[in-house]
Amino acid sequence: MKRLARYTLTLAFAVTGATQLLAQGAVTGTVKFTGAAPANPKIDMAEEPICKAKYTTAPTDPVVVVNKGGLGNVFISVTSGLPAGAKAAAPSTPGTIDQQGCLYHPRVFGVMAGQSIEIKNSDAVLHNIKAMPKKNRGFNISQPTAGMKTMKTFPVAEAAVPFECNVHGWMKAKVFVMDTPYFAVSDENGAFSLKGLPAGTYTLEAWHEKYGTKTATVTVTATGGTATFTFAAS
Amino acid sequence: MSQRSGLPFWPRHAFWQGVALTIVAYVLFDWGIPALRFVGIPSAPVPNSVVVEFMFIALIGIFMYVSENEARWAEFKQPIQSALVNRDKKWLRSSLLVVLPLFVGFMTFESTRPRVTADIQPRSIHPAPPTSITFRNKTIQLAGLENPLRKQGNLEDHMKEGRRVYYQNCLPCHGDLLDGKGHFGLGFSPTPLAFDGGNLPLLTESFVFWRVAKGGPGLPKEGTPWNSAMPVWEDFLTEDEIWSVIIFLYDQAGFKPRAWEAEGKEAAHE
Amino acid sequence: MNRATAGRYGGKAAGVIFGAALLLTGFPADRLSAQDVQRGKVVYDKWCMGCHGETGLGDGPAAKFMLPPPRDFTGAKYQIRTTASGELPADADIERVVAEGMPGTAMPEWKSKLSGAEQKDVVAYVKSLSTFFEGAQPPAVVAFGKAPGGGADAIADGGKTFEKLECFKCHGMSGRGNGKSSPTLKDDWDFPIRAANLSQNWNFNGGGAVEDIYRRMRTGLDGTPMPSFSDALDAKVITDEQLWHVAQYVRSLSPEESPPAVREVIRAAPVAQGAALPAGPDDSTWSRAEPSFIPMVGQIIAKPRWFAPSVTGIWVQSMHDGNKLAVRVSWDDGSKSPDPAWDEWMARLVKSVTDADGALTPAQGPDRFWVQFPKRVTDEAERPYFLGGNTRRPVYLWRWASTPDASEEGTGTGLGRFAALSGASEMTHAASFTDGRWHVQFTRALVPADTTASPTFGVGRAIPIAFFAGDGSNGETGARGAVSAWYAIYLDVPTPPTVYVMPLVAVLLTAGLGLVVVWRAQQQNRKS
Repeated sequence: MKRLARYTLTLAFAVTGATQLLAQGAVTGTVKFTGAAPANPKIDMAEEPICKAKYTTAPTDPVVVVNKGGLGNVFISVTSGLPAGAKAAAPSTPGTIDQQGCLYHPRVFGVMAGQSIEIKNSDAVLHNIKAMPKKNRGFNISQPTAGMKTMKTFPVAEAAVPFECNVHGWMKAKVFVMDTPYFAVSDENGAFSLKGLPAGTYTLEAWHEKYGTKTATVTVTATGGTATFTFAAS
Repeated sequence: MSQRSGLPFWPRHAFWQGVALTIVAYVLFDWGIPALRFVGIPSAPVPNSVVVEFMFIALIGIFMYVSENEARWAEFKQPIQSALVNRDKKWLRSSLLVVLPLFVGFMTFESTRPRVTADIQPRSIHPAPPTSITFRNKTIQLAGLENPLRKQGNLEDHMKEGRRVYYQNCLPCHGDLLDGKGHFGLGFSPTPLAFDGGNLPLLTESFVFWRVAKGGPGLPKEGTPWNSAMPVWEDFLTEDEIWSVIIFLYDQAGFKPRAWEAEGKEAAHE
Repeated sequence: MNRATAGRYGGKAAGVIFGAALLLTGFPADRLSAQDVQRGKVVYDKWCMGCHGETGLGDGPAAKFMLPPPRDFTGAKYQIRTTASGELPADADIERVVAEGMPGTAMPEWKSKLSGAEQKDVVAYVKSLSTFFEGAQPPAVVAFGKAPGGGADAIADGGKTFEKLECFKCHGMSGRGNGKSSPTLKDDWDFPIRAANLSQNWNFNGGGAVEDIYRRMRTGLDGTPMPSFSDALDAKVITDEQLWHVAQYVRSLSPEESPPAVREVIRAAPVAQGAALPAGPDDSTWSRAEPSFIPMVGQIIAKPRWFAPSVTGIWVQSMHDGNKLAVRVSWDDGSKSPDPAWDEWMARLVKSVTDADGALTPAQGPDRFWVQFPKRVTDEAERPYFLGGNTRRPVYLWRWASTPDASEEGTGTGLGRFAALSGASEMTHAASFTDGRWHVQFTRALVPADTTASPTFGVGRAIPIAFFAGDGSNGETGARGAVSAWYAIYLDVPTPPTVYVMPLVAVLLTAGLGLVVVWRAQQQNRKS
């Protein structure tokens, strides 16, 4: 879980870096979760001892990450309020996704259209990475050894592009390819921070792989703004 | 050896004429006759026993020819005689004495060694249809029967429906190409009928309806093969579905069904 | 070729169109290309639509009546390419699949039906079904190079690289498509998909030659779980030669003769004088019996039909010792059914394959195998109905199931109509399942105790034999499964000595006669 947080943070920093120039109000907020969080499915890694050894407790598939009432791995983006046709240059630093302990880190992340994605294997086992976008070209590549890195780019904006590994059927990630830099992913406690939005009123959307989407309206001033989303156990 | 003018030595010599005629006769019987089908004359491989019989007759003829007059007979015998006695033909003589017995031995072995073959399964493609059939408890007169869908509704709709029926039911055996080589076709024996050959235009739609409705198990007793994998489609398809797939089939194959003759009688199906 | 066609479609096809309607409105497409597309649509609507659907979504009427299902063209994902993973295919790639078909699937070869021009036209139309080709540059074709020399060392090296690259995760250690990940495999449309059985290269979608295999590893099979291994070359995880060796190793897993010839007659050789019949399916004696390959296809004749059989071929061997007949059947199967690991497969299968003839349930059954003979072996040409016989001409059946491992003999009067013989079974069986392959040996006396209840296996005659196989982890219960046509089993007799004596006599007689003739001729010559 710590690792997950670290990767989410890394990404957040990357996003921050990309948007620093704009240096405007930041929307901070929380994705709340009410009700009892469902138990995540157990993953049987008996066939993959190298990955299994990386866990002290039986690994589970982190579909629903809830801590202190906050929901993690929620992708937050701006759906309206931006000037029409607002576009920004893609940052030169790549977004990264790592295969570690036969799970993807991060599980949900965003990059800008045209921004590189570095796909890395930290496991000494064969992973294949199959990306299945609809508007971009997909790919299916293999990384049979630890340390392999591959760069890929999606030129067209597209939500929730599935990444999966077929050797380990449980491994799944979602990549959001965005036209603007205004997006964030909630951390393990549900907190997120969306930086660089010019003053104005926006509609934000929060997306979760299991619970779907929620929207919220936020007014951003020079001092920023706050937004809260609440997902309920179903 | 004579040095008559005209033809070179070999074709004029009675012995070699005899040899050549024998070879020509064999080639004609064994390969020539089956090859006639390549020039459009129906033929089949000649059974070995018949080839032997033909060769026997041919040899008698050749023998009569070479012995027709004394001179030719002497000419014919001369190389044989020389091979048998001449000092300078010693090698030829010895080789023949070895090769001929071995050849005879080999032929004997070929004819006595055990061979394994499965029983030949005869095949009659177009058995005579019954005059009427029972389709899902309903009696249908086949004689004179036309495809009712051709006079009802929209042909395009029937074609579309027929395409659906074909692709969901017939495709695995009869194939996309109507060539009887669908992805399951080669697993069955006899292999499924190809529709792109000459069969369809010889058949009335009522005949096709009968074959589809009753399938392999519905073949008459004299109509082999008994192991046709053709299902009994009345168990799966309605009457209209069968009529529509027949419309589709003729259209897709580019044939017209055979019409009933004016007096309402169908010429015997071959 | 590639350059020419690329120029024809790729460069000029600035306006790839969706249908004739757009054409009529004067879409500014290149004239030649537009006509290609229009003509291609005619070909497509007649020959391709039944499977691939009106708009190319792979949803034609036949889509649920086959597995793998027909390809959805709208995403421009093509398995068999000469381009890198994720790239569009070259025109020549699509043209090749149209012309040659895809072995192991329902896609036939079209070169015998469509003219060269029609094939190109239909490719132009198929491309127009996806927006990805719109204005796209011709893709770069991967330079594949040439295969290095093969041989035992290359194959052994390929085997090591096969392990290093962990190909076995999906394909299994022996390459029978039974790796640990295999039950979870799905394609991009969530249809269940099998890891290729590498011991049956005649079913490889892109061809079974070493070059074909190498190309598939370089480019991957887009839309399927098979990735490209080109990145592993770039990262120097393996060398190009090693990858070629993997291709050579994979080819070596299939028989030299591919596809194996199908022979009508299975030979049951007599065991050597005094030797015993094999004691079980793993007895090394079996390696001496010649295997016969029998193709198996879906039971699509009686209800409920089954369009997605798992067993597509079996190997049959047989021996007898003058008293007993032993038959060993071998076939590849991903699992010993039922197997909870295959629940995921079953769940996808139920969604993907038609249940037109009755509800398909995701419940697994055992693996099953039946051997069928006529109840009475006669000299008549007519045999019982191949699909389980009927009441007029019943069949004699050996039926085996994996869980519990049991067999029975009985009389069949139609598929699924079975009555076990009374009394103890005279047929015994032994089954083994090793690394994705079943071996089942059936043994029975040549002459049964009751010759009216079951057939006598006489030597020196062809006895009809047929087979049924069911994979319990593939929804194959009841009449669902794979069937064969009638074949024949022939119990060889030891070759009688006359077979050797007669030719010898003939040789001696001819030689003697020859000598006499020569001697007489020379005598006469001397006299004259």
